[in-house]
Amino acid sequence: MANLTFNEIDNTVLKTLEPPTRTYWALVALLFAGIVVGFACWVYQILFGIGVAGQNNPVNWGTYLINFVFWVGIAHSGTLISAILYLLRAGWRNPIARAAETMTVFAVMTAGLFPFIHLGRVWMVYYMFPIPNQRTLWPNFQSPLMFDVVAISTYFTVSVLFWYTGLVPDLAIVRDRATGVRKKVFRVLSLGWTGKYEQWRHYSRAYLLFAALATPLVISVHSVVSWDFALGVIPGWHTTIFAPYFVAGAIHSGLAMVLTLMIPLRKIFHYERIITGKVLERVAQTIVLTGLIVGFAYGTEQFIAWYSQNTVEMEIFRFRAVGGFALSFWVMVICNTIIPLLFFFKRFRTSIFWLFTISILINIGMWYERYVIIISSVAHDFIPHAWGRYFPTWVEFGIMLGSFSLFFFLFFLFVKHLPSISMTEMKEKVHEEAAHG
Amino acid sequence: MDNANPVSVTGLFKDESKAAAAIKSIRESAWQLADVRGPIPSEMISQSLAVKKSPVGWFTLVGGIIGFITGYLLAAFTSLRWELIVSGKPVMAYIPFFIVGFEFTVLFSVFGNVAGLILTMQLPAYRDLPGYSTPASGEDFAVVVACAEEETESVQRMLANQGAKIELGH
Repeated sequence: MANLTFNEIDNTVLKTLEPPTRTYWALVALLFAGIVVGFACWVYQILFGIGVAGQNNPVNWGTYLINFVFWVGIAHSGTLISAILYLLRAGWRNPIARAAETMTVFAVMTAGLFPFIHLGRVWMVYYMFPIPNQRTLWPNFQSPLMFDVVAISTYFTVSVLFWYTGLVPDLAIVRDRATGVRKKVFRVLSLGWTGKYEQWRHYSRAYLLFAALATPLVISVHSVVSWDFALGVIPGWHTTIFAPYFVAGAIHSGLAMVLTLMIPLRKIFHYERIITGKVLERVAQTIVLTGLIVGFAYGTEQFIAWYSQNTVEMEIFRFRAVGGFALSFWVMVICNTIIPLLFFFKRFRTSIFWLFTISILINIGMWYERYVIIISSVAHDFIPHAWGRYFPTWVEFGIMLGSFSLFFFLFFLFVKHLPSISMTEMKEKVHEEAAHG
Repeated sequence: MDNANPVSVTGLFKDESKAAAAIKSIRESAWQLADVRGPIPSEMISQSLAVKKSPVGWFTLVGGIIGFITGYLLAAFTSLRWELIVSGKPVMAYIPFFIVGFEFTVLFSVFGNVAGLILTMQLPAYRDLPGYSTPASGEDFAVVVACAEEETESVQRMLANQGAKIELGH
């Protein structure tokens, strides 16, 4: 990477902001159609009631909560890459930090919609917020669901501010090269950044503090999400391993999504000299680590259920592994823990085909992980005659399609309208490599 | 320096160490160092400018303290307004309230951080844009020297000797 010049970095990234082709707009339109489908399904649910979704006793938490946890999880690796690896001074994060941060922002936005959808009567949402009122009714902050409201709102706000702060020097570069209306827009967005050392002095300090604050936040957010389950007494949920297990799983799925997004981005925008094979290899190596942690958590859950000799706990884990949820359970285990082990072999982690394929499989596996955790426990808890089944309806499938469309729609708009690689951080990396030979 | 007719001379450097050396020379001379800009933060240049540590952290700290108190008290207040024992937890559940306190600490620390950034950098700084040297956002380190018109040539010569490309401006 040291053979790249500052100008080449600017030129490569700015070239991606040139007017898009018709194919691009056709894809954007297709994704927009997906959003319309999802929105129409939600409107249908509002008109006819939450009963149009498949959630019913005993399974009252269905795909809406699965997708919520899935998207929050996807968001996590963005913060891992932008904040935690920044603090650890891992240079390989620089080429992918911006796209990963953006992924965080859009994934949290998508996740944040699901509690609203799950509410059914969405107009009652203000009950979740501590608003002074004449009813003297206040949210109960002893509930993990209220921890979650606070944690997700904080995570979204912090992620957006962190992302925008990181963008400012790059917006100034775009402003300096743009003309006409675009110049005016970027002039406003870049807040008058000129790269003065007086500005860098405060900016560098603030950015470091942002990273230092985002690091414990990201760990707390998915821990809080896990407590939505772990603080309940439902078998399969009520366990202290949930917080680290969820955090590792979140980073695992997020890293896989980073590969899913970066590989096409690298190919389409000719970023091969910036997002090098080495960078993708480092992501794959980190996936091996997170996959092993997730696998260890799966094993620990099974072991503790057996070791406790608690009939209900043993039954739920038997039901997951060899009972009604066996198919989903083994999809989860194979995709999340067995297949990523292929990245131990250089051949797999240096092949674009395998990197992309395995990343997709992990995404599928991580969605199934949430499916297994959320559905199987409530479908098969204490009393056998209260056991039940769950299958999502077309409304839930429509809303799920809408959520995936929304995420990719926003990402598509981002990559053609804002710098998808941090030019400033790339220059810092190139400069550092040159300085150290 | 005669300020009757001031001129600014900008030296554009490709190399940060040469820019840092030029900054030191100017600071030791009678000329006035008007501005230094660059595409990346540079420890070497910051040292040559002898800049102090940014005070942004104080804003962050104050934000965090306010955040923790706000979050913890909010949780306590709402519980006391609804005095029911839920799930066997006491009305004043001190440990769970720490979670709300922690999230508010991070949120308000970040608000403090952003407020500190805006105040110390005096953003938005659109007034700086006229006369701003564009290459400094791309690849060059720009060292701007203010001098009297008759001294322009000496400043240019000094900057050129240090390895700079010269730009003139009023």
